[in-house]
Amino acid sequence: MFRVPLLIAVALAIAFGVGLASTISALNASVGFGAIRLGVWSSFPQAQTAAADPYAKSHRAKAGRLLYGSAEGLAFTASEDEEGRRLTGLCRYRLYGKTPAARLWTLYAADASGMPLPTPAELPSTFNSQSVLRARDGSFEISISTTAQPNNWLALPKASGFTLVLTLLDTPAAGSSGLIGLEMPKVEQIGCGNE
Amino acid sequence: MSRKLAFAVLTGLMGAALLHIIIILALPNFTGRDAYTRVVAEGPEHSFHSLGDTPDAAGLSNLDPYIKVAVCHFDVTTQPIRLLAGFSPGFWSVAIYDSDSNEVFSMNDRTSVAGVLDVLAASPVQLSRIRKSVPPSLAQSIIVELKEPTGYAVLRAMAPQPSFEQAAREFLGDALCIPFEGY
Repeated sequence: MFRVPLLIAVALAIAFGVGLASTISALNASVGFGAIRLGVWSSFPQAQTAAADPYAKSHRAKAGRLLYGSAEGLAFTASEDEEGRRLTGLCRYRLYGKTPAARLWTLYAADASGMPLPTPAELPSTFNSQSVLRARDGSFEISISTTAQPNNWLALPKASGFTLVLTLLDTPAAGSSGLIGLEMPKVEQIGCGNE
Repeated sequence: MSRKLAFAVLTGLMGAALLHIIIILALPNFTGRDAYTRVVAEGPEHSFHSLGDTPDAAGLSNLDPYIKVAVCHFDVTTQPIRLLAGFSPGFWSVAIYDSDSNEVFSMNDRTSVAGVLDVLAASPVQLSRIRKSVPPSLAQSIIVELKEPTGYAVLRAMAPQPSFEQAAREFLGDALCIPFEGY
């Protein structure tokens, strides 16, 4: 006699359970389908425009960040190294190579929510295109670790997970022209712990 | 029984898909913490509010350690809005968004006229009246058409070295976001 209410309960439970779970995971997992990926770096050049897909619009309304306009810049984030392992302060990394054409760029380490990691002011925790030391061909190499390194050292405050945010300012990469041929710096793990 | 159960599961999955779509499409209007709402919470309209390095009560901050940000929200229902700023030694950029946080216009110091911020944003009706006889004060201005009357502007100034920070802060502090009186 409870067969019909039971079936309705099953249908409703699946509708709300699966519907809410899939929505939450879609909003947390990505900021939409308009992502471009260059090596370990990903970016969303269309996220701030009216052309952004509904997932990107929901995500940006939930995050409430001030995004870069297309003439301002383009922010790339990396949360994994070249071999697909999550970036963590337990390990040391080497970021090397060149950036795509841009007038300026900035680099900092951020936590999962995108806020810059709180690093003591006397440690070099951020770089930009004017402060980085370069090789003769214009490329650069930055060591990322909690312990001091020679040359360019990006200091991490503690041994926890982090993401790298590389913002290209005034870059043609933010336009619609092909991003596929662009070269981004590589992020390579060079050791963990006391190795 | 098993057929009825399968039917119930199928109905549930259809409902789940429907709910998913409705939530995704409706969410931008209901989050209550989107960029426009936060900018409005920064303070009164028609004035640039400089942000700090740590999130304020509205939840906004500079984020990038080298970039200082100021925001201003406006309403051009009665008068167009004019964005003005002086000289900055470093990179600066400005972006105008509507109240749904869609980009309307953006530019940087290289794409501006003579490296100075001078933008007039107006509704289509106001623009057609301005274009009939352009006031001399707008001769050098970049004119932007707003489809919606409300929105916000984000002004960014880069301080690549600590010694640039004072100049960047002054650039943002002196920037104006005022109704255009000559209209």
